[in-house]
Amino acid sequence: MSLIAQVQAPTVDFRGLSPLIALVVGANVVLLAGLLRGAGVQRVLVPLLAAVTLIVAGALSVAIWETGDVEPLVQSALAMDTLTLSMSLLFYLAGLATIALSLRSSAVGEAGAGEYYTLLLASISGMVVLAAAENLITLFVGLELLSIPLYVLCGSAVRERASLESGLKYLVIGSVGSATVLYGLALIYGATGQTDLGRIAAAIGEQVEVGDPLLLTGIALTASGLAFKASVAPFHQWTPDVYQGAPTPITAFMAVATKTAAFAVFLRLFDAALSTNQVEWGPALAALALATILIGNVGAIGQRSLKRLLAWSGVAQAGYLLAGVVVGTRLGLQATAFYLATYLVMNMAAFAVVIASERVSERGDDISSVEGLGARSPVLAWPLTIAMLGLAGFPATAGFMGKFYLIDAAVDGQYAWLGVTIVVGSMISLVYYLRVVAAMWMAPDAPPLAGPVRRMSPASGGSPEADPRAQPETVAVALVCAALTIAIGIFPSPLFDLAVQVGTSISGI
Amino acid sequence: MLGSYLPALVFLALGLVVGGVLTVLNGIIGPKRPGTVKEQPYECGLPSEVTSNFRFGISFYLIAMLFILFDIEVVFLYPVAVQLEAFGLFALIEIMVFIFLLFVAFVFVWRRGALEWR
Repeated sequence: MSLIAQVQAPTVDFRGLSPLIALVVGANVVLLAGLLRGAGVQRVLVPLLAAVTLIVAGALSVAIWETGDVEPLVQSALAMDTLTLSMSLLFYLAGLATIALSLRSSAVGEAGAGEYYTLLLASISGMVVLAAAENLITLFVGLELLSIPLYVLCGSAVRERASLESGLKYLVIGSVGSATVLYGLALIYGATGQTDLGRIAAAIGEQVEVGDPLLLTGIALTASGLAFKASVAPFHQWTPDVYQGAPTPITAFMAVATKTAAFAVFLRLFDAALSTNQVEWGPALAALALATILIGNVGAIGQRSLKRLLAWSGVAQAGYLLAGVVVGTRLGLQATAFYLATYLVMNMAAFAVVIASERVSERGDDISSVEGLGARSPVLAWPLTIAMLGLAGFPATAGFMGKFYLIDAAVDGQYAWLGVTIVVGSMISLVYYLRVVAAMWMAPDAPPLAGPVRRMSPASGGSPEADPRAQPETVAVALVCAALTIAIGIFPSPLFDLAVQVGTSISGI
Repeated sequence: MLGSYLPALVFLALGLVVGGVLTVLNGIIGPKRPGTVKEQPYECGLPSEVTSNFRFGISFYLIAMLFILFDIEVVFLYPVAVQLEAFGLFALIEIMVFIFLLFVAFVFVWRRGALEWR
């Protein structure tokens, strides 16, 4: 009794937690709204509520923006610093784009609008928790909250065999990844006796040696598990299959937001808690980055499905991003955050066009579906062209600036050879990025398919909308993201300034 | 710094070599006398009686899952209810939030017809 009587109510900073609270409340409201009958509710009200939730959470994140090393909240479990908030803004933007891309997706109708958008919001709240985690336990809770709704979302087109397969595959492999992370976290806790990231950093070098085998095994297992989520080679094999089978808006969301969340936690864990160990884990992560860049770029060359091509390209991009983590410096942190933002706009533009074209083409997401797109509808061909050039790292696009920043960070952090690898990888990547561009502008219109016509894509909702004007929101996402790709490429300084502010979030590197 | 990776590499190489050699040798020089008993899936004790692909109603699964959910809710309420005075107002509000969230889930499963036996 006397022991319990000492329990003190923790001080809760509701201001700092407000974005998360907004997300959770919004998820509940969306879930209940989804129970109402009526096409208007399902098609308009529920997505609108989900979008409003994300906008409110984003506004609250901007309101509590504070540079520097912010005091963690909730018994030092969550840090709402610039790293968390900037990554959160990326999640919200990715979520908003996903909502727009999902409006006409048949997966929403099959799974139920309430369920679909609630799961999306739940996954985003998991990403925010993960990015904010200052504690190994919070980290794992965030990881699971991110993953479990995504497993369901991947299988949300319940009448599609490929979607169900993708959901199951992601569940099995994601669980292996989560278990590996958990094992690694347990070993890190065992070696240092702390779950708090700040205290782990203090314990390494004091209570436990830098090269302690238990600690290193823990780091290796945690890195492998997180590599599953970030689709870093050799833990990337699930990526093309899952990306291809999942409903395309969810693929876009996973490609952008999950990767951002995985790299946010990579940055925080390795730069904040384990930075004194950088000489030990640096070479291992650098080897992973090298393998990822080469495997991703070579794997993409032979792909005909645009979704698989973008999946492999996402693997390669994860390799570039990992270079910013490897160096363990403030510049690396800034460069990774910068590249994540550019990666979001470029990939969203590409996926929006893939969605728009697979809805009207009888060839689905095969590369022949975009043949002659330049002549048919330039309003779709231009965003995809810009996205492809951006992902390849052409000058005057966001991708060039991002890669430049990453190479700068790699060279500055004594990993010049990794910078060279990024350049070589970009050169290889031109093969498949330019193939898509060439198909759009140089190939003649593909002849109609002989034999039985393929059933309309699952995303079409059953009605072929041959005119891109019939799906204005998809085209709008593509155009806005393509415009941002160019804008960041020409005027990068606002985003640079933001990245510098993100760099202040972790002290001691 | 790379020196610390040497034990891991040696371990990896050793594991591959020993494992590979033993597997290959087994395949080459091991005696092979297959029999029906040997090819059965092993289950401790008696021969396995359970067929692997029998079916049961999905409703059992749903009800069981919902039971666990609300069972845990009750288990979670007990300690707080017993020691509410010691925990104070904060715990009361927290548990109210928790109950409300589960109530939302309850409304959801109820309206979606998950509580009806099919």
